[in-house]
Amino acid sequence: MRYLLYFLRKRYVYFLFLALEVLSLVLFFNYNDYQNSALAYLSNGITGSVLNLSSDISEYFSLKRVNHILAEDNAKLHSNRSEAFYKADTESFYHKDTLYKLEYRYISAKVINNSTNRRNNFLMLNKGQNQGVENHMGVIMGNRIVGQVVSISAHFCWVMSLLNKDSKISGKFKNNNQLVNIEWNGGNYQLGEVKEIPKHVVINIGDTIITSGNSDIFPEGLLIGTIDHFTIAQEENFNYATIRFSTDFNSLSFVEVLIDLMRQEKDNLKKSFKSSNR
Amino acid sequence: MTTIFLKNIGRFIFLILFQVLILNNIQLSGYINPYFYIYFILLLPFGIPRWLLLLSAFLLGISLDAFTNTYGLNASACVLMAFVRPFVISSISTGTEFMTGHSPSLKNQGLKWFAYYSVILVLVHHFTLFYLEIFRFKEFFETFLRVLLSSLFTLLLVFIAEYLSYPTKKS
Repeated sequence: MRYLLYFLRKRYVYFLFLALEVLSLVLFFNYNDYQNSALAYLSNGITGSVLNLSSDISEYFSLKRVNHILAEDNAKLHSNRSEAFYKADTESFYHKDTLYKLEYRYISAKVINNSTNRRNNFLMLNKGQNQGVENHMGVIMGNRIVGQVVSISAHFCWVMSLLNKDSKISGKFKNNNQLVNIEWNGGNYQLGEVKEIPKHVVINIGDTIITSGNSDIFPEGLLIGTIDHFTIAQEENFNYATIRFSTDFNSLSFVEVLIDLMRQEKDNLKKSFKSSNR
Repeated sequence: MTTIFLKNIGRFIFLILFQVLILNNIQLSGYINPYFYIYFILLLPFGIPRWLLLLSAFLLGISLDAFTNTYGLNASACVLMAFVRPFVISSISTGTEFMTGHSPSLKNQGLKWFAYYSVILVLVHHFTLFYLEIFRFKEFFETFLRVLLSSLFTLLLVFIAEYLSYPTKKS
């Protein structure tokens, strides 16, 4: 026993090293669980306030570009106003609208931290639980996709951007509705990879890829990007293409968080489906 | 002793903020991400107890992780680097005694010593960090290139910092 204690005391550095290394590796590989923990909630609050301060300063540098985008959006909205339409027959425009029900609500948020040069990139936004943000919500900019919320605190949230190893987006060709998966393989932040395009699908450079609406995160029809170039595989069963993202991830300043008002309903349906199939 | 302590705490905070607010926002193609914050571990004094060395490296790494939402990634790389540090120092010992309160520096230890010391430690850190980050061998050579280029940049910053502190340091 005494020898054991002596041994432990003599070698304590090795044990400390192992303990710390194991602790950090466990944190790293279980980070999905950890991101939702109370500690993450607390530390997001602290890092958030530091990053918020720095973005308060740096946001002035992007004002010009933000104004430009806003003006464009304004013009688009103006052209959709009823005054912009010619009323051909007043009667025919009237209908009691029961066909449509509000499905998505948008929260505007400011990007206070962003990266594009890592293998796994995250953004921090200045909106959190108190504003109604929850995990797994989609984040978009205009009609282009950005990523999904992975961790929240009272006033901030972390968003996993498309530029991440764990990010897989279900998309489709706009012209023929063929489903594909979009991933990012690191390197250039403007280019992603379109996986496993069936052989029979005709690909053209410049084809638009939009979200398929198959996932719970994004509605259908948001812009992902356009085909930059592609390779016709000789021996495999699938072709591959490189996509140029519509979103400029390096200059994000204001984004919108999508709140799916029917998410509860969808989740319940999925749950009941799963339990009945067991 | 307390001044050394305070100096290191100040350096800790400064380097974390410098890394988070400045270096992480600099875009040098997709391949170069300098991690200059590990300069803190390089500069810890010779006489520091090894448990304190490991613990402070862990704290350094986990603090940076909190800012980039990669809990454990930088921490494990830093802990490994801190663990290796005493072995590197003893392997290149010049025979002369190191002053326990002093930090390794380009001026006191000489260019050859300091280059050897910092190159090995920076490479240990960057290799661990980048390969842990992707955690697959599919992009092996791309990652290798990223490690080398990023290490080069980190080392460049370390040497610039050393030369900048050159005249003020009294041995």
